[in-house]
Amino acid sequence: MLNNQFTFTKKTLGILCVAIGTLGTIAIFAVDIIDVGREGGIGPIQAIGLVIMISLILLGITLIPLGDDPA
Amino acid sequence: MTNNPPISRPILAIIHALMLIALAWLLFHFVVYVVYATNLIQFPFDYDQGEGFELHDVMLLSQFQTPYADIESFPFYGSIYPPMYHVFLVPFAWLFGAEYWYGRLFSFITTLITAITIGWVVYKETYRAIPHADKTLTRMIALASGLAFLSSNIVYHIGPLFRQHISMFMFETLAVAVLAHVSEIESTPRRRRMLLLGFGLLIIGGYTKQLAAFTAIGVLIFLFIRNPRRAIVWGFGFAAVGAGIFVLLTVSTDGHWWTQTITANVKDFLTDQAIGLARLFANLHLALFIPAVLYLVYEVYFDRISIYSIWLVCTLVLSALAAGTWGAGDSYYATAIGAMCILSGIFLSKTVNRGWQFRQNYLRQMIVAPFSKLAPAITIILMLLTPIVYIVYARATLHMPTTGAGFSQIAELFGIEANADNGFYDSAGRLVGAYADIGHLTTEQDVINGDLIVARINEVPTDKLVLSEEAAFSFATDREVITNPVVLYILDQVGHYDSSELVTMLEEQAFGLIILRARFYPPPVNIAIDTYYEMVEVIPMNGFDYQLLRPKN
Repeated sequence: MLNNQFTFTKKTLGILCVAIGTLGTIAIFAVDIIDVGREGGIGPIQAIGLVIMISLILLGITLIPLGDDPA
Repeated sequence: MTNNPPISRPILAIIHALMLIALAWLLFHFVVYVVYATNLIQFPFDYDQGEGFELHDVMLLSQFQTPYADIESFPFYGSIYPPMYHVFLVPFAWLFGAEYWYGRLFSFITTLITAITIGWVVYKETYRAIPHADKTLTRMIALASGLAFLSSNIVYHIGPLFRQHISMFMFETLAVAVLAHVSEIESTPRRRRMLLLGFGLLIIGGYTKQLAAFTAIGVLIFLFIRNPRRAIVWGFGFAAVGAGIFVLLTVSTDGHWWTQTITANVKDFLTDQAIGLARLFANLHLALFIPAVLYLVYEVYFDRISIYSIWLVCTLVLSALAAGTWGAGDSYYATAIGAMCILSGIFLSKTVNRGWQFRQNYLRQMIVAPFSKLAPAITIILMLLTPIVYIVYARATLHMPTTGAGFSQIAELFGIEANADNGFYDSAGRLVGAYADIGHLTTEQDVINGDLIVARINEVPTDKLVLSEEAAFSFATDREVITNPVVLYILDQVGHYDSSELVTMLEEQAFGLIILRARFYPPPVNIAIDTYYEMVEVIPMNGFDYQLLRPKN
């Protein structure tokens, strides 16, 4: 990945999007679990973050079947 | 495409005719823009809140003084903006002194450069993908794309202001244009030169206004997708230079740079404001936003993802969020509008040149293949719709004076009625609070009334201080600029400003005259003003009521 010729394909980009989206979603929920002193529920910024992360997962899932086409 | 059957002459004639109508309308908006810029460049006072303080930053830098000073002691002045725009204006300050015209002219010219860059990118990208593209139509679309940027109500009304934001999006656009195909340059020295130029422009943009960070994020994501190693190496270099300048400024200003550019920019998030501005952006720009998004989707699934697509996503999402913070406004969308004009321009140019190509994949089978028999008819319909998109956009962004030679006749002919100050019509209306109440032309009466305020200040003995909420009157009377109210207010809100010294001066009635426009001071200062001063006169200027207060008793 760190050589001079490497470039993302649609498939590897899709996998990356799914990974970031999944980790991001977990992190957004973790804010509520870890920070127990806060008011309960998902705040507006968290909601926006969740929409972005879930969109990223969906984007990634649709990109993976596109295979080795350069991204 | 050379293998496409020729389009019949009547259809081509209709497309050309409709495109000429679209261009004529967009050119009319450009004329309005030039008239507005000419009017503002001649106006000697603050037009938009805060312009005078940006001029003061220029004057301080021209005297080798820092605008990032201790705001808790006299003259209570600080700046929350990075210095690059003001640095560019320093030579003008040396030549002409404290004047508004050169800062506004500079901003206006940068918008023209941005628009030309947008048009140039659309033209170049069309020929890169379709070498046999129709010259006339491609030029028309490229011209329309550049004019569409200037036609946006948001770009129009901030374009000729003495504000740093406007030149920022020129640097961002130039950086994106320079880096768009940098990964494809085979010559290593040339590629490095282009990367250096692109990142240099981004650093300048970032030190013009912090929002350029959103473009930098987009650029780094793009470079990462194309070649992670190069993105990491150059990203670290870029971050090191940016952070180095930041540390230097923080140390050399005793930490005031940090307080005023970082602490002061951590503001409350107003959900209603964010939603209102997003809806306003969509209402005004939908005609071009749809093709821009379609082109983005096309690149994601059927072509390589360009820097422009990532730029649009990053600047739109991050700017839409940032626009919800206190003190933000519609101008936060300006960079995304530039990206939108480029993407929509490429989409429409590809359409009129019949340059669409779809890679073989499951989506092609699902979405494109079922319509393959209808392709010729769909192509003709889309080609005819292309100029209509620009016509709809021109109507959606309509803004013009309804008075004055030529304009009053046009307004009467089309039944356009003023809905803003000084007989101005703005399709954006005034429905969203954070939409700047500007765009109208100033009048002779505005200048007369401004001079009247200056005359009132001159009545105050020179050994008495004058506190003006706008710096213009201090410049016009050769008095010291005292306070930058918005900076004091924001830092007061986040607990980083102690107003005791200023309040004490107000209690002692140290000011012979106070001039207020919007009372942007922190609450304790406003209370002290009302306690120890009384309003003696209200002078309207440029749609605002300037309150003049003298010491009680």
